[in-house]
Amino acid sequence: MKKTLLVLFFFFLSLPVFSQISIPPINLKLDASVNNTLRYGSGYEYFGFDKESKEYFENITDARFTINDVIFGLRYEISDPIEYGVDFKGFRKRYIEYNNDIGISLRAGDFFDIFSRGLTLNVFEQRELAYDTGIDGVRVTYKNRFGDKKTPWDFRAQIIGGNLEYRDFLILSRVEKYKLRNINFDISPVKQVKLGASYIYATGEVPSGGETTDIKAYLPEVNFSVNLKDFQFYSAYSRKHINTSPNALYPVEISANGDGFYSSASYSKSGFGITLEYKNYRFDLTAPDNRSADRPTKMLPFQNPPTAVKEHTYTLISRNPHVVNFNDEVGGQLDILYLLNDKLTFNFNAAISSEHYQYTETDSAGIQIFNRVERSANFLPDLNDAFNPFWEIFFEADFAASDKWNFKGAFSRQSSVVYNQSRPLNSEKLFYTTIPIEIKYIINSQYALKLNVEQQWAHNSIRSGEKSYMNQYVSLNLTKSPQLSFSVNAEFTNDKEEPTGKDFWAQGEVLYKLNQKNTLTLSYGSERGGLKCTNGICRFVNPFEGFRLLLMSQF
Amino acid sequence: MKKVIFIFVLTMFFSNLTKAQNYTDFTLPDLEGNDVKVSELLKSGPVWLGFWATWCTPCKEEMKHMNTLWEKYKDKGFTYIAVNNDDQKSLSKVKSYVGANGYEFPVVLDTDQKIFEAYQGNGHPFSIFISQDGKIVARHLGYVSGDEKKFEEEIINQLK
Repeated sequence: MKKTLLVLFFFFLSLPVFSQISIPPINLKLDASVNNTLRYGSGYEYFGFDKESKEYFENITDARFTINDVIFGLRYEISDPIEYGVDFKGFRKRYIEYNNDIGISLRAGDFFDIFSRGLTLNVFEQRELAYDTGIDGVRVTYKNRFGDKKTPWDFRAQIIGGNLEYRDFLILSRVEKYKLRNINFDISPVKQVKLGASYIYATGEVPSGGETTDIKAYLPEVNFSVNLKDFQFYSAYSRKHINTSPNALYPVEISANGDGFYSSASYSKSGFGITLEYKNYRFDLTAPDNRSADRPTKMLPFQNPPTAVKEHTYTLISRNPHVVNFNDEVGGQLDILYLLNDKLTFNFNAAISSEHYQYTETDSAGIQIFNRVERSANFLPDLNDAFNPFWEIFFEADFAASDKWNFKGAFSRQSSVVYNQSRPLNSEKLFYTTIPIEIKYIINSQYALKLNVEQQWAHNSIRSGEKSYMNQYVSLNLTKSPQLSFSVNAEFTNDKEEPTGKDFWAQGEVLYKLNQKNTLTLSYGSERGGLKCTNGICRFVNPFEGFRLLLMSQF
Repeated sequence: MKKVIFIFVLTMFFSNLTKAQNYTDFTLPDLEGNDVKVSELLKSGPVWLGFWATWCTPCKEEMKHMNTLWEKYKDKGFTYIAVNNDDQKSLSKVKSYVGANGYEFPVVLDTDQKIFEAYQGNGHPFSIFISQDGKIVARHLGYVSGDEKKFEEEIINQLK
């Protein structure tokens, strides 16, 4: 019966595509598009030394129908069993949207959105983490250009109202619920300048410690940007005020203020580009004993500002992501791109961040009390261990030696501290030095070969045994344009404290484009797993051994 | 495994039946603040939409080749639009990346991925090629060395 329904569903979706109708007297235009993702895996998942059999089957169909100016969207999902998250069968998302030529757009149903750089509003989905902060509600947008042709000015305004259910992807049974109202607008009095503002009022239910705390949140934001030919500047400031209702866990009403500031400047000319980012997030400054992921006054799940750290693509470097603490972090990032000539490109990146304050601990009649040590330069990061600092230096050179050969080499050094307030000497200090090398050889107009070798030296100060260890990763990839890609990769470690006790992983993968509409990926072998992060929260993705299938289709 | 085979067959069957779809029009400002409207650009010839992000290495490789093709065929009416999908984490680097590479084709910002969603994108790089009469004549997901040859053939076919 389910299969019959699925066939009918596909048929129904495809119907308008077979017959894109355009009837002149009514001028009815009908169109549809479908995107289907099939994921299947079978094998074993590792939980430390234990391994359990693992099988998942997920099929996600996103369909979109257009009838003149009206769009209907649906997502039908079968996740039974799901790879990570809660099993689901049925319509996960649905919406109706209307757009017209006078600049009005209406959407009812499910949607994601971001206002400016996300200090107050940035809702999105990251499926591999079971992270979804999508809003179910109504969004009205108006944008238009005013003035004459010589001196036009642009205006855009948006009103959002809806519900948001955020499932904690570390504790899947924990769900935070919010009712959210937002109004935002931006105005460009001249082409190069934009001013924006946003205000959110939200009520929420935040479960923590067996209790649910009702909150009211107020979040105003202002931002400003200048966009010249070679120079770009952006700045945004947001405040967050939360009131909690008393309950058994928090018997006294809490009234908490927080704020966040982000700014970036970039300059570019042919052959050179530089970007500087600064962040100062204090959405929930509090003493170490008060911190927790389910604290009702924390940064809210519909916020997600810029991280101002480099997003890496190399396997071993990206395995140790910096977890941004949006509640208490100050720092920035510098990124320089330099093209010496058509063949040689350099990229340099440096990032630094820390908490704003250090705390001293005193014992008063058996009760631990944390006192903040004030400092005037709290707008700058501090590399003292007590500030939980993070820094990274990255350098990359890309050399196209000829039409056939391309070489890429990089160096990365990352350092982070997890400060132990009670025993500072037992603070966890982590260092990673990584050197990746990539060699690409274009055999002919169809075939290309790519070798990627990464060597990483790691050091963890609190280990009882060997504190230093290394990781090695190698992958070989053969591609045949336009339809085939074959790769094998292997990873080795001499880490005696590797959670699974393993020291070697190997995997093979084939990607085949069956046609323009269907891409099939098959892989078999073992994967080491590792940290995956979003919105300042990381999940350890367990190692997996077995077979995976991915079919992505569009029609 | 039966379910996998069933969905696989179903997908193959329906995807092979479908015809070319109509494009979705949009207006977005480029990095200089000038409006880019697809329907306006289609008046002079076919339009290639290349969805990319600064963190996507194959996107940047593809863009290098698309720049060459755009330089070669722009006078014949071909337009390449690089639709950027960087989110707030890396958005500030987009302009300096484009400027440093000296790219002059239009680059528009689709930070909230509304255009990406409208074209049902499910990965990067992702390309949509629109013929002058507004039909989607090609879709490409991913890029491997040598794909630019196929891209060029498709452009030549549409310019005939």
